[in-house]
Amino acid sequence: MRAFNAELSKLFSLPGIWLAFLIGAFAPAVITALDSIVQKEEIIAGVSTRLSEVGYIGLALGVQGVIILGVLAVSSEYLTESSESGGGAQITTSLTAVASRLHFLLAKAGAVTVISILLCIVAIMTTVSTTYLILGEYTPAFEWSRLIGAVCYWTFTALLALGITLLTKNGIIPLAVLMINSSVVSFSVLLYKVTKLALYLPDRAGLEMFMFTSDTPFTGSLFDRFHNPFTGGLIMFTWVVVIFIIAAIVFHRRDVAA
Amino acid sequence: MSVSSSRKIMQIFGAELDKLITLPLIWLTLMSTFILNLALAAAFTSAGLQGTAGTQSILNIGLASMGYLQAGFIILGILATCSEYTGGQIRTTLTTIPWRGLQLSTKHLALAMITIPVAFIIAASGVLYTFIMIRDTAVVIEIDTIITTLIGATGYLTLTTLLSAAIGALLRRTTPALVVLLGYYFIVSPLMRIFLPGINKYLNYFPDTAGNYMYMPRSPDDINVLTPMQGTGISMLWTLMFITVAIVFYCKRDA
Amino acid sequence: MLTMNNLVKHRGNQEILSGISFRARPGRVTGFLGPNGAGKSSTLRILLGLDRATSGSALINGKTFAELHNPLATVGAALDGFGAHRMRTGRAHLRWIARAAGLSNSRVEEVLKIVGLTNAADKRVGKYSLGMGRRLGMAAALLGDPKILILDEPVNGLDPEGIRWIRTFLRERAQSGNTVLLSSHLMGELAETVDDVVIIKHGTIVADGTLEEVIGNHSTLEKAFFALTSEHAGEVV
Repeated sequence: MRAFNAELSKLFSLPGIWLAFLIGAFAPAVITALDSIVQKEEIIAGVSTRLSEVGYIGLALGVQGVIILGVLAVSSEYLTESSESGGGAQITTSLTAVASRLHFLLAKAGAVTVISILLCIVAIMTTVSTTYLILGEYTPAFEWSRLIGAVCYWTFTALLALGITLLTKNGIIPLAVLMINSSVVSFSVLLYKVTKLALYLPDRAGLEMFMFTSDTPFTGSLFDRFHNPFTGGLIMFTWVVVIFIIAAIVFHRRDVAA
Repeated sequence: MSVSSSRKIMQIFGAELDKLITLPLIWLTLMSTFILNLALAAAFTSAGLQGTAGTQSILNIGLASMGYLQAGFIILGILATCSEYTGGQIRTTLTTIPWRGLQLSTKHLALAMITIPVAFIIAASGVLYTFIMIRDTAVVIEIDTIITTLIGATGYLTLTTLLSAAIGALLRRTTPALVVLLGYYFIVSPLMRIFLPGINKYLNYFPDTAGNYMYMPRSPDDINVLTPMQGTGISMLWTLMFITVAIVFYCKRDA
Repeated sequence: MLTMNNLVKHRGNQEILSGISFRARPGRVTGFLGPNGAGKSSTLRILLGLDRATSGSALINGKTFAELHNPLATVGAALDGFGAHRMRTGRAHLRWIARAAGLSNSRVEEVLKIVGLTNAADKRVGKYSLGMGRRLGMAAALLGDPKILILDEPVNGLDPEGIRWIRTFLRERAQSGNTVLLSSHLMGELAETVDDVVIIKHGTIVADGTLEEVIGNHSTLEKAFFALTSEHAGEVV
């Protein structure tokens, strides 16, 4: 528990974390606002084909905040970009303060999980209120099950970011890969054209927890429902667990200085 | 005097080039970009082969990966300038070369020197791969068209790299620079294009969209398009503007 | 000759330096002393053109650092930290500096030998120990064979052998007419190396003179230092 508290205070004292909070709390709302404004007329006329995704699209495309969170949580331990003295990596201090590497890892993952859940709740609040503000009485009802799916998606994404960064020790690669993959030009979309296995990629499967409700008109396209929300979540969770186990083994064996 | 100062510029240029070449991260980025680009070209080609045969343009497919490819060059640009701030190297740089404006402009020049050939090779490799894979079904394209398009693509990637370097120099930290640039190129810009079709005309004046016209094959029925030259001009203007802003800040603030 | 004229530096609302004036003369080793956070590094950073003074000037032979025609051959500086990217090798680091000043690669090998890093030259800077990092910094400072040396905590992290080497090396440099300015908080070490002493406290100079003048009636430099810098003068003596 003490290690967990230490991880929380470490995270909150990072300057970059405020960027993550800012993006996490407002990016989904902004995306939702744009989407709602564009669709407003269709929704009022009752001809919108994407009514079920209003609001959720913001939560799907606005996960950058937690990606930054997960990456920073690890990369800040290794990277020192200071104009003052030559870099002493914080990881050395961290691992002398918490001797067990597994505890250290669990504490970090715990801290990231808690912050992601809170951040997602904030994001849901801003997103839902934005939707109401723009669509008024035409706002579709937000179902609890899907909102919980969104929270899971955010948390798993943050943990994936954390696990990958632990393997690379450098924030650039995970940040680039995950940010691009969370965008509309995601790698998963491209890979889907090559192989149907792309449906089992973590982001695509995870999105099933709250996106792609059954009656989409693009039949046969990537945007169809392939798994049910529970299976989708399970697939993404498996990814998180596998990456974490690999990261934990590598982290356990590695010399700190290496 | 002018002889010695031009020699001095050559020396600084050499030093900046040395700095970039001896940084393993730069090589790592370029190699992974190259490999990733071939993988993407393979994916696009195989996706293209499943489509209607005979109507495929090698250039369209070969350059389809450009959207992803630019990420590698954004990282390259950021690394080039932000690496100065690792381990306090900036202090050594500025005590060796105290003329800050000159130093930062030379760094951009050195970066361009590295980027231009690499960008050309990477872009060409994607097109070449596509050519080899689908030459039987594809529409034949004249060699001039291929070369002009590849030059345009090289120019676009180089300008993107320099722009990223300028943003990196402004922000001085890798993570925020990466978030800002990737956020703009991969999230904000595509979303604007989808959600706000009304402003597409103005999007042409943004660095990425304008730059796209440098290599994208033009469809004659679209009225909003720019010519490759216009696209190059706008893109270049943005890049120069950001470099200037970066230099002004660099000269004014404490290192 | 290094000349500080009434240097003032504000950072935010804080006044870090409030009117620093002193000189470092050729042929002498000048020690720049003060507690942590007194403004030693800020003064050196302004002198090297890294930071800008709010008012006042810091001149090297009558010119600011940026006006120097060939900075590396005029001033050699080693501030704290390694001053090198962690991923580069020591040799590559020195080579780009040499390239910028138009020096040959053989000069790089010479300075590597002087500071005793030849065997570690192909290791990444990130793998260097603190002492090796300091040696790399010294090597960079010596590349241009400058007449003036500015060193921030040069003995910090060095082993006893390295400390002795620095001491004799700096004495030799000064005796052949060069200017050496070094900051430190190791009194015993400093007393054996320096000719002149400048003591700074809270951004103001509290003592400036030859070693004998500053020690005055106190028995050692350390006692004089505490007498001058402790909050209630004389208490710690």
